[in-house]
Amino acid sequence: MTPGNHPIFRKVIPMKEGLVQDLQEIVGEDAVRDDPADLYVYGSDSSVHCALPWAIVRPGTVEEVQEILRYANSNGIPVVTRGAGSGMSGQAVPIQGGIILDMKRLNKILEISPENTYVRVQAGVVDDDLNRALKPYGFMYPPAPASSRIATIGGEIANNASGTRSVKYGATRDCVLGMKVVMADGSLVNLGSTTRVEASGYQVDRLMVGSEGTLGVIVEATMKIVPIPKYRCMGVACFNELEEAGDTISEIIASGTQPSVLELMDNVAITAVNTAIDLGLPDVEALLFIEADGNVKEAVDYEIERMKEIAEKYNAFGIDISYDAEKRTKLFKGRKKLFASLSRYKEGYSCTSLADDMAVPYSRMAEMARKIHDIADRNDVIMTAYGHCGSGCVHTKILMDPTRKEQWEGARNAVREIYEYVRSVGGTTSAEHGIGLSKAPAWKKEKQDSLEIIGAIKKALDPNNILNPGKLQDAPDDWLTATDLRYKAE
Amino acid sequence: MTANFKDLEKWSPELNICIRCGYCYELCPLYKAHPWESDTPRAKMLLVYGLLTGDLEPSQHVAEKISECFFCKNCENNCSANVPVTDIIKEAKAALAEAGYEVDRTASTVDEDLCCRCYTCVSVCKAEAVEPDEDGQPVVDPVECEGCGVCAASCPSGAISQKDGFGVSREELRQLLLDTLRKGAQVE
Repeated sequence: MTPGNHPIFRKVIPMKEGLVQDLQEIVGEDAVRDDPADLYVYGSDSSVHCALPWAIVRPGTVEEVQEILRYANSNGIPVVTRGAGSGMSGQAVPIQGGIILDMKRLNKILEISPENTYVRVQAGVVDDDLNRALKPYGFMYPPAPASSRIATIGGEIANNASGTRSVKYGATRDCVLGMKVVMADGSLVNLGSTTRVEASGYQVDRLMVGSEGTLGVIVEATMKIVPIPKYRCMGVACFNELEEAGDTISEIIASGTQPSVLELMDNVAITAVNTAIDLGLPDVEALLFIEADGNVKEAVDYEIERMKEIAEKYNAFGIDISYDAEKRTKLFKGRKKLFASLSRYKEGYSCTSLADDMAVPYSRMAEMARKIHDIADRNDVIMTAYGHCGSGCVHTKILMDPTRKEQWEGARNAVREIYEYVRSVGGTTSAEHGIGLSKAPAWKKEKQDSLEIIGAIKKALDPNNILNPGKLQDAPDDWLTATDLRYKAE
Repeated sequence: MTANFKDLEKWSPELNICIRCGYCYELCPLYKAHPWESDTPRAKMLLVYGLLTGDLEPSQHVAEKISECFFCKNCENNCSANVPVTDIIKEAKAALAEAGYEVDRTASTVDEDLCCRCYTCVSVCKAEAVEPDEDGQPVVDPVECEGCGVCAASCPSGAISQKDGFGVSREELRQLLLDTLRKGAQVE
């Protein structure tokens, strides 16, 4: 079987003759693969999409990345950069074939500088590995996305990931100080700086954040780190009404309180984690996880107490507050495993990453949470509302029987309705998971005024359109038919 | 779909349940030795799915990628969706073996010339993968073997070995030990 003739290859794009041999000359024989088994698995990430590359390359040095880009640019070959493949929207799915650039060999921590509060890493360093290395220094890299156990720093930058602690410490964007990027023509550029502040013209490093591999290949990054706080206090509050939990979030943020975690879980999410990993969470309509941290216990107590008072104002009950690290770790573990646990919510249903991370203004949080369930009911699918609501991010997923075509039609309608609502209240399509393919149609509507600028930037930096082509502004208008699905529906 | 893989159809719902979060490979010893995506447990699930749906033609390489596993169950213990990864791998191994593909890369092998037929391997094998053949010679069933290495470690005549390339062969373990000792000596 040749990749171009593969049954799941939607478009037959001629592969350059001698591609594999040419790549082997650059990186060595063992770092290139084109066996159908490898192409098949590298054609998927954690999204619903699937499309085959022509070859997979695992560069071991920055120079090799440069050489690969020079070669691809000269020959018009698409290059799709891949970290852990944990993206949920098809960012690393090679919709136009080409080379998958697997960055996981570039996984060295180059410098830990506690006195300057930064760390310098190669793009393939895994988030949790970095935090393990920082711990002896008393520091942490704070965004904490749920995928931190496998997600690479390069991938997190390319998607502007955020997570449970972003409400206090910011998203990846807020941690980027500088980076080295290989541009489409193979040139290596230094962007940003190593200082906390920089006001030198265009912030090109920031342009790379969230660019999803369409503007350059991030090979090294200098990221801000913060001291691990001495005290962390976590609370869990129960609600009988989802809207009351939403109103609590809105008021906590508006009150000036400083949570380090402010997470929502609705009943679908609670049931899923209790079923899948027996977490023993209270079976209520909604839960809020609140956390405050700092180096002064009285200050932490004060923040937690204020959050508790606001929650009680909105009829929260059973509020359990604790400094117990073990308890907190267990709850965090449950939260990090929520995505997969949702697949066990109902027999015969699977959890799909669709409409999964919109953000709305805080005052709309309660309405949004309810809207998600109304839209799901109308379209005969199950949806859930959870997420880092303290940062304005609402997660959902679509739970459905992926083997039934009509379920996909329902999912398509639900996704459209969700994003129509999000736009109508001034929200945004993606808070932290990125656009890729499945969110591109909604994102293009949201950004219609700036698509021309975005297109001009892409053309200026990647004139031959080799870097992750067919994504973001260039993605198809219907995500459902953009690629084959990795599920077989009849 | 190839007729040989019909028995795997029952796993379709479980394969759909895998959301490919990747937690399965964080602690996978096979992935540590072969850090390609195609060596992750989630990739094995996808490859089995590909065989079932007909998207993927079976081949020796596919058989190797699916069957190379040490059955430590770290993947299952980390899987929040509780996908029975190793049960699926074991049945896929059987189907691939039946279709004529070799599935013995992480399995133990017995050197008949060195074997003293003490049958220690038979008694220590938790997977019941080592049985005497009709001549009394212990033989490892590559489908049932889970590559744990207990037979190799307990064989008094050193007749059982595991293959190079996965960090578990006698020579690789010896080298690892030497490297560790040298590193320790340098620290001193």
